[in-house]
Amino acid sequence: MAEPRSTSPHRNAWRRLQRNKVAIFGLCMLTVLALLALLAPWLSPYSYSAQNLALGPSAPSAAHWLGTDLFGRDLLTRMIYGSRVSLAVGFIATAVALLIGVTWGALAGYLGGRTDALMMRLVDILYALPFTIFIILLMVVFGNNIILLFLAIGAVEWLTMARIVRGQVLHIKQQDYIEAAVSLGASRLRIIVKHVLPNIAGPVIIYATLTVPNVILLESFLSFLGLGVQPPQSSWGLLIAYGVETMEEYPWLLLFPATLLALTLFSLNFLGDGLRDALGEK
Amino acid sequence: MLRCVVAAAALLLASCSFDYETNVASGTRQGILHIGNGDEPQELDPHIVTGHIEHKLCLALLEGLLALHPQHLQVVPGVAHDWQVSEDGRTYHFHLRDDARWSNGDPVTAADFVYSWRRALLPALGNNYAYMLYYLSNAEAFHRGELTDFSKVGVQALDDLTLEVKLDNPTPFFPHLLTHMSYYPVHQATIEAFGAADARGTRWTRPGNFVGNGPFKLQEWTLNRRIVVKKNEQYWDADTVRLNGIVFYPVQNATTEERMFRAGQLHITGTIPTDKIARYRREWPQVLKLHPFFSTYYYLFNTAAAPLHQVQVRQALSLAIDRQQLTDKITMAGELPAYSYTPPEVNGYTADPVLRHDVHQARALLAAAGYADGAGFPPLELMYNTSEGHRRIAIAVQQMWKTNLNIDVTLVNQDWKVYLDKRDSRDYQVARAGWIGDYLDPNTFLDMYTSHSGNNDTGWSNPRYDALIAQAAQTTEQQRRFALFRAAENILMAELPIMPIYTYVNKALVSPEVRGWHPNLLDVHPYKYISLVSSADDTD
Repeated sequence: MAEPRSTSPHRNAWRRLQRNKVAIFGLCMLTVLALLALLAPWLSPYSYSAQNLALGPSAPSAAHWLGTDLFGRDLLTRMIYGSRVSLAVGFIATAVALLIGVTWGALAGYLGGRTDALMMRLVDILYALPFTIFIILLMVVFGNNIILLFLAIGAVEWLTMARIVRGQVLHIKQQDYIEAAVSLGASRLRIIVKHVLPNIAGPVIIYATLTVPNVILLESFLSFLGLGVQPPQSSWGLLIAYGVETMEEYPWLLLFPATLLALTLFSLNFLGDGLRDALGEK
Repeated sequence: MLRCVVAAAALLLASCSFDYETNVASGTRQGILHIGNGDEPQELDPHIVTGHIEHKLCLALLEGLLALHPQHLQVVPGVAHDWQVSEDGRTYHFHLRDDARWSNGDPVTAADFVYSWRRALLPALGNNYAYMLYYLSNAEAFHRGELTDFSKVGVQALDDLTLEVKLDNPTPFFPHLLTHMSYYPVHQATIEAFGAADARGTRWTRPGNFVGNGPFKLQEWTLNRRIVVKKNEQYWDADTVRLNGIVFYPVQNATTEERMFRAGQLHITGTIPTDKIARYRREWPQVLKLHPFFSTYYYLFNTAAAPLHQVQVRQALSLAIDRQQLTDKITMAGELPAYSYTPPEVNGYTADPVLRHDVHQARALLAAAGYADGAGFPPLELMYNTSEGHRRIAIAVQQMWKTNLNIDVTLVNQDWKVYLDKRDSRDYQVARAGWIGDYLDPNTFLDMYTSHSGNNDTGWSNPRYDALIAQAAQTTEQQRRFALFRAAENILMAELPIMPIYTYVNKALVSPEVRGWHPNLLDVHPYKYISLVSSADDTD
């Protein structure tokens, strides 16, 4: 995210971010989660799929810290494995949205005129499509594949990104240094890549951190509909969806996954807020 | 799932409004029964549908020659008020009541039954239940297209109110068959106003078009929302019918259904979530109805395609599952593990419990089939219709196959209609299935796996099996019949085109306002016996 080059505006931003305690908490939390997800197979003595029907649903205990589900599977293990899917969806789908959205928005904004109008009307049309139906259609055509799920979600999430980027580009296009670059004979591509994009990094990063929680929730929703992750795999969305079914009898099956999801979403939002404050003002 | 969201939203709205009267309260006052009916029906045409969901709807809209009494499951008069059987048990004379009417006022005549049974047997209609009518002389030949002259089939209208039926064999349970929807009459003029007699899916079953002869008539059918029927004043026994109407809700999700019941939105549910049973037992036992059910839960194998065309593979899959654990830990309503296909002790017949749980042998058989330790086993898909209960069993079975045989199984859930279509066209590998006996005789389970049965979706056929079932049909002496059934069932369980898992327990929640709902082995609850009484005085 933050570029390692120690140009002074970035270093200032980093310093401002460090002063924001809540944002740093969010960052740490996400780092820990990402590490847990990566190290999952070495952390838990249980397998996410191995059942213990004789045990069945049991409340939190010393053997199973967060209890077990209906099939006697360790809930903590399933949550950690679930975070692999949920975080992967969050970040990959956001990256896809970022790639398409920024390219599209920057081109539309910089080229302007008819091209701009045409490109943005297309965005408007896609906006008007009910996106759940769009994703379901994609899944029907391409089958139920986890990678496709990432791409499909990303493919519908780029629209807002494109609009934001276009707005920013329209603004930057009026700046003197762009005019200077044009009069020096720089090519359009060079101007977009070298001069426009670095200057819209702030809003883009902020919006990206806000997209991640959206996407995680969307995956929950699609898995709930039976389109995303399939058993015996787990994701936070699935755990919560099935937790709801039995919340009166086995409340821990809803409580823990829901808390974890809420914490993650808070962290991302805190980090997003912090980044906006740090990068926002020039 | 969307309809659950809708239902949940409706509930939320309902609980918010200020002086809201629940469905149960208003329904009890107005004589309207609100009932959870599992899923959106495939159709309402009695000669096309096969499911229990559709059966519950047809039971309200149509009536056969005879009907079942819910208390003792004996036949009682329906459209026929009287009937005689010949000495040899092969000729029946049914005398139709002269006041039986269709909902448009037309009289129900013997010719209507001849027309309807002919329609049920027309090859192009594709009626999966056509084999239920094979007991009539020459019906099988007509259904197979070998005979085109229907007058040679054993049903004839002697006059407007007398129907003569000729059977190939004395069939002791024939009167019971007449209570089944495949023998229901349909209204000729209505059918033909919307298409040919053998056209599927025409608009004759839509509200406004549907003409039936049952105690209720179709008023509204809103897809995925509800089906409303109201009392049919033309029905011959309308005086007995105490309900003014019934509303059927297609609630797939048992949890949603249970919440609707608790919120006073339903009088009767189709099922109850496993996790809630203990709580109802403790806190509200009078509404919890758990009863033995003449019904088996099983998995179908598509025996036409690899790898399930190999009998060892099917046997290995069956040996690898622990039925006792599934019923003890997953279904938990007192279901019995099924070690044979037919449920135990029905009318004196109990099959040999031949199925076992034996992981060692399962592995050996799989290795013999060429997949030692699951190596090279093609990906397997297990299909079930959307339901939390089916999903749980599938997850447990998936893991048993993985752990014991090292086979990877993908779970696929489908909407009811898609699920039925895929089964019908054999577009599946393993599919969940359940069979509810249509009458109290092992034949209702066993004749559906003969090679000519429309309900045999497995692609399996065995001439010896067919011969045993045919022989049983010609046998009247009960012990001899049962011996033939037992021999046939042993073939079925050795070859395993189907893998029985457990014998159902019938689960329902019935609110205290409902009277005349009698639990029985077939889960048949004719609506004309049901009434609603305000329970304000006798509960809480």
